[in-house]
Amino acid sequence: MESVFLQAGDWAFIASNGSYLLVGTIVTVLLTVTSLGLGFLAGFPAGAIEVYGSGRLEDIVSTVGVVLRGTPIVVLIFLFHFGLPIPDLGDIQWLDIQLSTFVAATLALGLRSAAYQGQVFRGAIQSIDEGQMEAARSVGMTRLQAIRRVVFPQALRRSVPGFQNEFTIVLKDTSVAFAIGLAELLTRAENLYLQPGRGTAAMEVIITISAIYFVLTFTTNRSLDRLEDVYATPGGNE
Amino acid sequence: MSLLRVENVDKSYGDEEVLHDVSFEMDRQDVEVIVGPSGSGKSTMLRCVNRLTEIDDGAIYLDDEEIHGIDENDLRRRVGMVFQDFNLFAHRTARGNVTLGLTEVLGLSKEEAQAKADDYLGRVGLAEQADSYPAELSGGQKQRVGIARALAMDPELILFDEPTSALDPELIGEVLEVMRDLAEGGMTMLCVTHEMGFARSAASTLTFLDEGRIVERGPPEQLFDTPEHDRTRQFLGELTDLH
Repeated sequence: MESVFLQAGDWAFIASNGSYLLVGTIVTVLLTVTSLGLGFLAGFPAGAIEVYGSGRLEDIVSTVGVVLRGTPIVVLIFLFHFGLPIPDLGDIQWLDIQLSTFVAATLALGLRSAAYQGQVFRGAIQSIDEGQMEAARSVGMTRLQAIRRVVFPQALRRSVPGFQNEFTIVLKDTSVAFAIGLAELLTRAENLYLQPGRGTAAMEVIITISAIYFVLTFTTNRSLDRLEDVYATPGGNE
Repeated sequence: MSLLRVENVDKSYGDEEVLHDVSFEMDRQDVEVIVGPSGSGKSTMLRCVNRLTEIDDGAIYLDDEEIHGIDENDLRRRVGMVFQDFNLFAHRTARGNVTLGLTEVLGLSKEEAQAKADDYLGRVGLAEQADSYPAELSGGQKQRVGIARALAMDPELILFDEPTSALDPELIGEVLEVMRDLAEGGMTMLCVTHEMGFARSAASTLTFLDEGRIVERGPPEQLFDTPEHDRTRQFLGELTDLH
């Protein structure tokens, strides 16, 4: 197998399978979106509970976070795929994936992301000066009003850089769904060069999907930079 | 009947006694200035009045009602506070700083709140800066927003916690001017400040607090010109020399 030599024929092979890789890219993007969405929905409250909560609830949240952050992602994805009784939810024909496999991958990537996003939010909330809370309370706002209207809006803005990191990590880690046979970008890439007689295209295929991953992370990070600028408080923070 | 009555208040942080048997009364429209060295308990005294800090012993009455019998959020709506570090809501414009309490606490509509906010920002001379964010304002402007934010809630009493201490000298005047206007307009004010000019000209009563105890209390001219205690004379003399 002379895979180190980049051959014109192999590039043509990839070009002719462009739509095949595009479907994989769509699965990768979908999995990133669902995982980050789950991560945000679970991570934001988790971060808030770690700051404002007390007793059992806070203990549970922080322990679950430690376990999720301390477990390799491939192990998590196996645990959710083989360990959870996820019913057969049928296939998504045009993406050629089993919905239950997609759900298992979303749970693993999403809950682990929640554990990290929770830390991002926790840090951001704790970075807001205590005087903000006091000022809100001193006009008669309840603690909950002060948290919701004064602390959270500022903490969310400060979370964008951390969220950016998390986005990049989750996007790239969708490739571990390869391990449970979900036909995302990496799985489809492998399917291509494992075809009989196409072994020489392995390097070209890998380079191609690397470029796709790069374009996805780069454009999203730029978009988030833009979002940060749009929502930044004029003049910066106090 | 006094608006604020503080009776035998004690407060400690651990072994550190911050307030010891502090008692005083204020009538409506009084301007009470508390002075004292750093660590004398001045700020703690203010914070006990709106329950940002809880007293250990004694009682505080607002309009003859013990403040621990009042819902704390109602109490804080009735007792405004202006902070040394401004504590403006960093993510909201000057107007947004004033409207937040109006919509969230008083339940005003957005339009009503904005009209009221603009009115109060105009009163402190910041009509032009209504759309500016805190980070775009000077220290003196920030503090005037802080005052407008407190005023807009229609409080019965406003607490000023060293409102000019974080300001550059050339910005102090504009804040004191607003405070003087308020005093002349009949606002009841309890102020911790080192501004002796303000104390002398605007205060109805001056209190000298040292090591958590009231050393001397009376009309400002009495404390400045004929103090009973050497400690008062010494402290006020030093402050007046400095400013």
